[in-house]
Amino acid sequence: MQQQQQTAPKPKKKVKVTRVVNGIEQEVEIEVDADSGPGWGPNDKHTLLNHSMTRVDGPLKASGVAQYTYDVRLPNMLYARILRCPHAHARVTSFDSSAAEKIPGVVAVIKGPLPELRFAGAAVAAVAAKTPEIAGDALRAIVVKYEVLPHAVDAKSAMAPNFPRIVPDANGVPEQNLHEKQKRGDLPKVEAAFATADAIVEADYISLKVHHACLETHGIVVDYSGGDTATIYASTQGTFTIPGDAAAQLGLPETSVTAIVQHMGGGFGSKFGIGTEGMLACKLAKQTKTPVKLMLTRHDEFVMAGNRSGSWQKLKGAVKNDGTLLALQARQYRLGGIGQGSQAGQPYIYRFPESFREIYALHTNEDSSIAMRAPGHPQASFAMESLIDELAYKIKMDPVALRKKNLVDPVYHRQLDRGAKAIGWERRNPIAGGNPGPVKRGLGCAVGTWGGGGNDQCKVDVTIARDGSVLVAVGTQDLGTGTRTFTRAIVAEEFGLQITDVREQIGSSKLGGANSSGGSTTAASLSPAVKDGAYKARLAFSEKVGSLLDNAKPEEMTFRGGNVSAKGKTITWKQACNALPSAGVTARGVWRTELQATGIHGAAFAEVEVDVETGQIKPIKMVHVQDGGLPLNRLTMESQINGGMIQSLGMALWEGRVMDAQLGMQLNPGFGDYKLPGTLEMPELVPIIDDDDKREAVIGIAEGCIIPSLGAVVNAVFNASGVRVRELPITPDKILMGLMSD
Amino acid sequence: MTKSRDESDAEKKAHNPSRRKFLKGVGIAGAGAAVVDKLWIEAEAKEEQSANGQTLSGNIKVTLDVNGEKRNVQIEPRTTLLNALRNHAEPAITGPKLVCDVGTCGACTVLLDGKPAYSCLVLAVDATKKKITTVEGLGTPENPNAVQAAFVEKDALMCGFCTPGFVTTISAYLKKNPNPSMAQVREACKGNFCRCGTYPRVFEAALAAARSGKV
Repeated sequence: MQQQQQTAPKPKKKVKVTRVVNGIEQEVEIEVDADSGPGWGPNDKHTLLNHSMTRVDGPLKASGVAQYTYDVRLPNMLYARILRCPHAHARVTSFDSSAAEKIPGVVAVIKGPLPELRFAGAAVAAVAAKTPEIAGDALRAIVVKYEVLPHAVDAKSAMAPNFPRIVPDANGVPEQNLHEKQKRGDLPKVEAAFATADAIVEADYISLKVHHACLETHGIVVDYSGGDTATIYASTQGTFTIPGDAAAQLGLPETSVTAIVQHMGGGFGSKFGIGTEGMLACKLAKQTKTPVKLMLTRHDEFVMAGNRSGSWQKLKGAVKNDGTLLALQARQYRLGGIGQGSQAGQPYIYRFPESFREIYALHTNEDSSIAMRAPGHPQASFAMESLIDELAYKIKMDPVALRKKNLVDPVYHRQLDRGAKAIGWERRNPIAGGNPGPVKRGLGCAVGTWGGGGNDQCKVDVTIARDGSVLVAVGTQDLGTGTRTFTRAIVAEEFGLQITDVREQIGSSKLGGANSSGGSTTAASLSPAVKDGAYKARLAFSEKVGSLLDNAKPEEMTFRGGNVSAKGKTITWKQACNALPSAGVTARGVWRTELQATGIHGAAFAEVEVDVETGQIKPIKMVHVQDGGLPLNRLTMESQINGGMIQSLGMALWEGRVMDAQLGMQLNPGFGDYKLPGTLEMPELVPIIDDDDKREAVIGIAEGCIIPSLGAVVNAVFNASGVRVRELPITPDKILMGLMSD
Repeated sequence: MTKSRDESDAEKKAHNPSRRKFLKGVGIAGAGAAVVDKLWIEAEAKEEQSANGQTLSGNIKVTLDVNGEKRNVQIEPRTTLLNALRNHAEPAITGPKLVCDVGTCGACTVLLDGKPAYSCLVLAVDATKKKITTVEGLGTPENPNAVQAAFVEKDALMCGFCTPGFVTTISAYLKKNPNPSMAQVREACKGNFCRCGTYPRVFEAALAAARSGKV
């Protein structure tokens, strides 16, 4: 009989933490290990954290020597490119690469994995050649014949009951193009509530697919020359999502494949795993036994690297004259191409006593949407914040007041007040389009939320060497969010050192495990483990150096200003490190739930100027108030809030994938036609960190801060012009059409 | 056309109204005057090349003057300056980034005889007689120029992939106009895109670098 090993349960202690429960922030008691280190302490008592620290990799990036995946060049490396299908729906009937293979410098041609191509841009083949120019020649020399099949790239065609089904389900059986994902609520009760309403707004809200437009395109470099190991350089948000994927393609054990991600040029949710391009690159490397680099071209990136799903939301909302929201009915279509799309359920963050929603996925012949910064949330927020605004105008109530009346969480109230002050809300003309002259200014607002909590995947090693150098190592990746900087800073602060006294090592799957950077989880997953590692290293260190300080106990030692003190005695950090064994000390930190939290709030305000003669919209100023518990680094947090505002603004006014319904192709697959926000369009941006949030816990804010600005801008355009545009982006033609139909 | 031309010559050509009008007329105007300026340099370079009456083909040896060093590259004549630097120079020069490859984003900006140009729109063979300066040639992590230092100080970078282009563009602009207004800074780098959202801090960094007086 097998003896069950009895381990005594670890002793626990109770600590009080602030958590958001049912949308309200409150103090709750949780159990943690009794030997856990102390918490972060008050947010205003830090020496490095919650200050503005310049990022540690800034000098490398500003001088162009930071190495990205795109910059990797290995001896004999081949350059690979992908042949894309030109049809929205087709089957390959013949494939002839003989001419391509004869071109000097072309080393390999492989066919793509798919028998049926369901969108224009799907990979048909890949080539590897000595230079990217020759790879381009090879693509042009491949002769493919297609059987062109019926396609739909617009929602209405795909929805038609007789239209051919586009996507097979898991069993290979085609699923309906329009299929129900969720139905919730009591429709008869909603309808009864509508009958008691003082005002009702019923409208369709539409947003186009938008692109991540990461400046570094998707791609990998496969360092494999035969043999039993491989190294993969990848532009990825998940170092640890790479080895398994690549190993499967290379036929190697996962543990024999190392992923490297030193710096990466933007992901915004689109870079997990090796993707189609990575699969093809691995296959080419395996076949040629030569290193292969495959970075998507910009055109590839637009048509095959994913996008934020489009949305079509039919909303009907009711309100009483005193501003009490009564009922909501929502029919939501997620437009995810051959993917499922993403859209938060309505009524999003507002509470209607009665609500009913149906959510459908609707397939078209376009590449699958994938996660993009707060997947599904800006779309839902745009529609709901527009509806709330419309209701406010209908009952002649201030939009801020209507929101405050219906948002129970007091955090929103203080943030709305703060943002209103910063934008000058009192200047707002309650009559939309009511300001004199052809160039009219207007103000709008919206609010948003996000989770931002972490998970327990990070394993962080903190090492102090005898020469006084300190290393913090973990396999995580820095997307440009400042991960390297706060990782260093936490350790430096623990030991009373300068940030320059600590080195970080990240971006390798051979280091301690780490989660992928998705869902704003990196900071809240990593920082507790770094803190834990630093604390444990401090204990180990203190035990070794106690002999230099009258045998002081670890808890008696203080670390400040590069010195270690105890019992009235002070020695320098370097002197203390002399007492370490030759291997120094290393401690491994793990996640501690009490050091992080979930649940953030943001309030956004926008001021725009609309020329009612031309329809031109000029954003003037945007304000975003954001909480996030303990700000690890104020400088980088403000930068992220700026980024959220700018990306949201782009989606509101300029960005959107434009498809040709006849050809089934994207008409704007490049920066010449896909309108990214640029320097001339920038309004004044005011990122405000909500320091009234006293939670001593780290929470991710990257996604929360992209959500509400969209609604704020859309509502400001209405306030300025009197034209309610319900289809994004709000281009000048829509303003002019709206003015004409008045 | 002479092999080398001095700054005043170049200035004169750049302000030739009929040529400028022509470039605008073919539909480049929408991309903005900064792009036109950069394209202008390319157009001139092409003229110069064809004036030599030479047809280049096969793999040829080209010597580039990059950041004050002569660099030999073995390339096909169709190779862009950007790809020559990144894929052929030994060791690789990867500060200029390949982002769009069609002159729409500015991430590959280098200086040709001190003037910003999209290196994805310049053939390497057309750059042989010019002094090429990439972001690496402006400063190093240990010894940055004023713009690079200000970018770090003001957090004018996030993922950093657009940064070399902005730094190069602004460094050149501040030489031309050491005391710019905010509007002029925006105008100067309107040919560069950032996706993370660093623009406001890029502007701050440019103005701070100008104020430092070290440009």
